[in-house]
Amino acid sequence: MKKIFSVLHIIALLAILLLLYSPLAKIGLLPSLSSLLRGGTPKIEDTPVIIQQVKNIAQMFTQTFYDEYVYDTGVLRTPLFNANKRLIFIAKGEVISGFDLSELSEKSIIRRDKSIVVKLPPARILDVVINPSGFETFIEEGEITFEESKKFHEDARRIFDRNAREKGILKNSAEQGRQMLEKFFRLLGFESVDIIIPESR
Amino acid sequence: MNADPQKKFAGKRRLLILGAVILALLAVNVAVPRRQARPLLSARTLKDLAELATVEYSVTKIVSYKDVAWYGDRKILFETAATVKAGIDLNELADQDIKLDGDSTVTVSLPQPKILLFNMKPEHMREIFNESGILRSDFSNQEKDGLLSQGEKDIRAKVAAMDILQRAARNARILIESWLKKMGFETVRVLFKEKGGRT
Repeated sequence: MKKIFSVLHIIALLAILLLLYSPLAKIGLLPSLSSLLRGGTPKIEDTPVIIQQVKNIAQMFTQTFYDEYVYDTGVLRTPLFNANKRLIFIAKGEVISGFDLSELSEKSIIRRDKSIVVKLPPARILDVVINPSGFETFIEEGEITFEESKKFHEDARRIFDRNAREKGILKNSAEQGRQMLEKFFRLLGFESVDIIIPESR
Repeated sequence: MNADPQKKFAGKRRLLILGAVILALLAVNVAVPRRQARPLLSARTLKDLAELATVEYSVTKIVSYKDVAWYGDRKILFETAATVKAGIDLNELADQDIKLDGDSTVTVSLPQPKILLFNMKPEHMREIFNESGILRSDFSNQEKDGLLSQGEKDIRAKVAAMDILQRAARNARILIESWLKKMGFETVRVLFKEKGGRT
């Protein structure tokens, strides 16, 4: 009987310790128990970076659109006995637009004395950038696989692209490209500069 | 003889007090909310750029992490890829950087090339291996993002040490020379500005 009391006392004291630790971990004053089990700050191994391809390009970036977006997958129902899933993350990145000048041909530049006509291709979105450092997990419930998470990240990129278009990135991009080239050609001594840019689709 | 029941009573009373303390702490635990950073609201802004990208590097890297502990290991391996574009920032081009000598000779002093864009697309990443011991928690999405961010940092550092800027400068020179010749200039000189001088 005495032994049972002693064991119960120890269990009760351990429970008290645990319950005292838990709220302090919750408010961030102490590391969480799960992080203690996971070990220290993870550090990746040193592996080489391998060049797969080097490409000569001629892209003129004329507009950037910075965006931050809170992506919520909503509750994802799973089969019986599995916990439902949900992921909320913040995506931060940018959309770059401009012109692919490699599409310029001999016929794209017409010069007559002090006047010049340049026919540019339409302005287009050249890159949507959300790097891993641009994703911040806010809520993660249930087991979300890497492939699932990748799909949500790709979807976030599509949302960035759509938002940038809605904000008028292509129109602004064309205007900025026109102004930039006009200034450049005037510095080269041209008195009449005509930049022709087809409307982007 | 009387000491034992008294001790038993004291023990029971102590257990009751401990039980009450546990219940009170449980209530505190339930009441204290988990600390979470508030998500930021959308900050959408358009900004003008004037950059000429002249080279694109496609690189790959294996991101591997091993967490070895006496109570079990956790191991994960990713294959990642990144695209890096470098070129010149034409905003740094001043009026005096373009010098005309008659109608057929021009000298352009370009700014030094720099890395303009770094892009790690999710569709180019692959989880090759992921294993956690029975007593270890699985890698969370947040942890995976953290490891990939470290991979991103490492690629940025290693690409900057490659010859990407030299190639960007060489291509920019070729590109500007060819465009200016198409415009009718017979002699075109492209230089690169240095800090306090030109090369």
